[in-house]
Amino acid sequence: MAKGLEISECQRFGLATVMLRKNANHAAVGAALQVAAPADPTWVASNELTMIGTGPGMWLALTETPSQHWSATLAERLAGVASVSDQSGGYVIFRIAGSSARTLLQRGAFIDLTPPAFGAGSVATTVIAHIGVIIWQIDDVPTFHVALFRSFAGSFREWLDTASVNLTF
Amino acid sequence: MRIPCPYCGERDVQEFVYRGDASPVRPLGEDGFYEYVYLRRNSAGVMREHWYHAQGCRNWIEVQRNTQTHEILGSVFARRVAL
Ligand SMILES: [Zn+2]
Repeated sequence: MAKGLEISECQRFGLATVMLRKNANHAAVGAALQVAAPADPTWVASNELTMIGTGPGMWLALTETPSQHWSATLAERLAGVASVSDQSGGYVIFRIAGSSARTLLQRGAFIDLTPPAFGAGSVATTVIAHIGVIIWQIDDVPTFHVALFRSFAGSFREWLDTASVNLTF
Repeated sequence: MRIPCPYCGERDVQEFVYRGDASPVRPLGEDGFYEYVYLRRNSAGVMREHWYHAQGCRNWIEVQRNTQTHEILGSVFARRVAL
């Protein structure tokens, strides 16, 4: 792998969609999970749980230390407040890091990924190479995580490899 | 053209599905149903229209747009209007 760009696939994680029930408010989600679920497209992490904003009253809940009944436990804690649907097997998460990571993603995304429009803590649900993606920036390396449906993983990986060919470091 | 999504911010029009005029209101009974389903004004100027952010936050939004200049005056979640 070229210097300035590291691409890997997260191997072990639990991922679930969390959708607010009709008459609940998002503060109740935060209270139930002890993570302040963001109301805007940002992510917040606490107690080994990351809440990634994907829409009003919609989040991806992510843990890198999933127990066997992780999503069922999450659903129990959110009973009456939000609906939980386990997506752990349905998505892949790519980790794209290094000084060229932003340039690479910017070649595919229609949105501005440069600060201050996008930075550590930001989330965007958008499309790259006709593939729906959820991008969130972890830190200022920069490191990005990109989640997409697992069946598109091969196509997305091909796009990553093609788009990164002539990157200069 | 870029559409401002109240949640996601400004996004390329390709991420959206266009649904058309947001002003017709579904009638309670049969009266006016034909007009509700089929008749549109084809406004020249500012109109309220429904857009679906299919490749983003997957929400219906209502956008105020000038059909002559494509100037966009604002957007809100469609459910905010419906409630
Ligand atoms: Zn949106």
